[in-house]
Amino acid sequence: MAQQRDIRMNDVVTSLSPLESCFEKNPHFAHIKWLCEFRSKQFKQFLTRGLPTKKEEEWKYTEIKNALIPAKMGVQTDLVCANKLAEIKAMTDVFLTFVNGHFVEALSHTASLAKEIKVCSLSQALDIDENRVKEYLTREIDGKRFPFAKLNAALMTNGVFVEIPKHIKIHQPIYLLFINTQQHNYLTCPRNLLIVNEGSQATFIEHHVNETAQHYFTNVVSEIHAANNARVDYYKLQEEGHTATHVANVFVTQKQDSCVKTYFLSDGAQLAREDLTIWQDAHDVESYLHGLYQTNRDHQHIDHHIHVDHAHARGKSTMMYKGVLDQKSRAVFNGKVHVHPSAQQIQAHQANHNLLLSSDAEINTKPALEIYADDVKCTHGATIGQLDHEALFYLRSRGVDANEAHMILTRAFAEEIYNKMDDTAIRQYMRKRMKSHDE
Amino acid sequence: MLTINNLHASIRDEKQKIKQILHGVNLTVRPGEVHAIMGPNGSGKSTFANILAGRDAYQITEGVATFNSTDLLSMEPEERAAAGLFLAFQYPVEIPGVNNMYFLKAAVNSIRKQRQLPLLDAIDFLSVVKAKMKEVGMDEKFLNRAVNEGFSGGEKKRNEVLQMLMLEPRLAILDETDSGLDVDALQAVAKGVNSLRNSDRSFIVVTHYQRLLNYIVPDVVHVMMSGKIIKSGGKELALEIEEKGYSWLNSETSV
Repeated sequence: MAQQRDIRMNDVVTSLSPLESCFEKNPHFAHIKWLCEFRSKQFKQFLTRGLPTKKEEEWKYTEIKNALIPAKMGVQTDLVCANKLAEIKAMTDVFLTFVNGHFVEALSHTASLAKEIKVCSLSQALDIDENRVKEYLTREIDGKRFPFAKLNAALMTNGVFVEIPKHIKIHQPIYLLFINTQQHNYLTCPRNLLIVNEGSQATFIEHHVNETAQHYFTNVVSEIHAANNARVDYYKLQEEGHTATHVANVFVTQKQDSCVKTYFLSDGAQLAREDLTIWQDAHDVESYLHGLYQTNRDHQHIDHHIHVDHAHARGKSTMMYKGVLDQKSRAVFNGKVHVHPSAQQIQAHQANHNLLLSSDAEINTKPALEIYADDVKCTHGATIGQLDHEALFYLRSRGVDANEAHMILTRAFAEEIYNKMDDTAIRQYMRKRMKSHDE
Repeated sequence: MLTINNLHASIRDEKQKIKQILHGVNLTVRPGEVHAIMGPNGSGKSTFANILAGRDAYQITEGVATFNSTDLLSMEPEERAAAGLFLAFQYPVEIPGVNNMYFLKAAVNSIRKQRQLPLLDAIDFLSVVKAKMKEVGMDEKFLNRAVNEGFSGGEKKRNEVLQMLMLEPRLAILDETDSGLDVDALQAVAKGVNSLRNSDRSFIVVTHYQRLLNYIVPDVVHVMMSGKIIKSGGKELALEIEEKGYSWLNSETSV
């Protein structure tokens, strides 16, 4: 027994040593004492917990130890990404760009927003109002459940800070662009805080993409706070490099009468893990969660874990995730709705539909309900299928060739998710981005 | 235009048992002719229509089919469509998520591409499709709906005829296009077909009833039973069947 434990401890030490070197060589925020102390503590807790293994239920299908664990953090480089920025500028003139985890002011623009709306980098926010940031940043994270959020807290280099004051509706999306370029074998840990105060409304697009880099590790944490009556739309677009690893933790806290809609679009990276945690922290809260994942390369692996906590009465949530899997790839869907004993009159719906285009593709899907209240309306379901043979023949009999017919039907399957996007310009942009991969 | 010689076909059922459906069909359709194929349920009419369009659920065990002097059976469904063959489905397929207008335009331009014709742009396409919709009595709102999704039986069949008008086939096969239609829809379907009739274009109309043939007057009527054409005649044969049913033919052939 003792021998076994020793072996396991040795394993942990070997696989985590690169991260120790990341931690030691990280010069960011060295001038802020409380932050340095906080980070040291977080890192120690992470080391004690170690990387998750497949023996843990929440990591059963996702082998993180096969992922690249880099020994250095990303470095800022000169970057010209005119194409991407031009596309973004056509949709919004509020955007922040991060290169290899570092904020690049020259590629960012927030001037069109009113003065009282705070949209800046995390380090800028710390300079302006350290205590306000501290309030959110030092929130305790359950390291057992979210080891990578712990690691992010220990290693964060920068990120986005947004605070929308009360009763302001921003119609332009706030675009957060994270580009990876020119380097290999590095880690980035962006940390985003998105606070939408009472009666306000905002739309965020968080986009992770590679330019020339392929082999790197993104470990991002985004926290969304929707106050009373707030409305937040959050889009997350994951288009990382083909051999990259992407781990994301999105935490959403919702207060009374707030409404949050999330859209996770994911088709990049070799290994991606997307955790979304919704905490309905008051009554009459609505959460609409959508996802579309497309895997089309051998050994690509995309895992979505969603957890909704209905902690108060009259909450609503829907989960609608769809996956298109091709080649020898794999996807995991794990959606859980937890209804607390005091949370009566909850309506929760979960759906996960998967289209398998190849016989080598694999999906592990598990929608789950955990209900401790008695007056609730909850449904869940998952399907796994192939392209409709009848529809294929119908299209081909009208002259459409087999390849195009496949493409039309695959897109039609995904279309349901795009149709849930309220903003037409964003819908068109997302449709075009996801399309550009299969063409 | 179309010559079928001794066509035999079978299908594998759920238990992987092979079931012979066509037992040697012979048929010749010349340009400009309208042929009606009648017959009781399960006689192989729809199988025959689907095999011509290229549905791969069936195994052709014997026989030859020549369409405009090419071997029809070796062509892919989309190649048959480009060569001018069109099947109006008995049960048109609902395709959620695919816009009807997008589908029609993809179909028209796929065929134009295969025929090496210039593609239609959105504006040209729209003006043509709107005119054709008027012809079949379809509201323009159906352009922006998903293909056949939630369409009534009559709307689906009108949509089939609309596709036929757009694709202008050389041989159109109508597989029980009349089933489940009210008189208005039936007339709209017939009007669509008749507007396309000319000396180069042929039709095969598969039907249970004589009713449709009042509107689309055939040159030849065939009766299919047990996977074979057992009797052919003029349009009066359809009237005779309407009056007497199919059983007299059975006894006639077995004598």
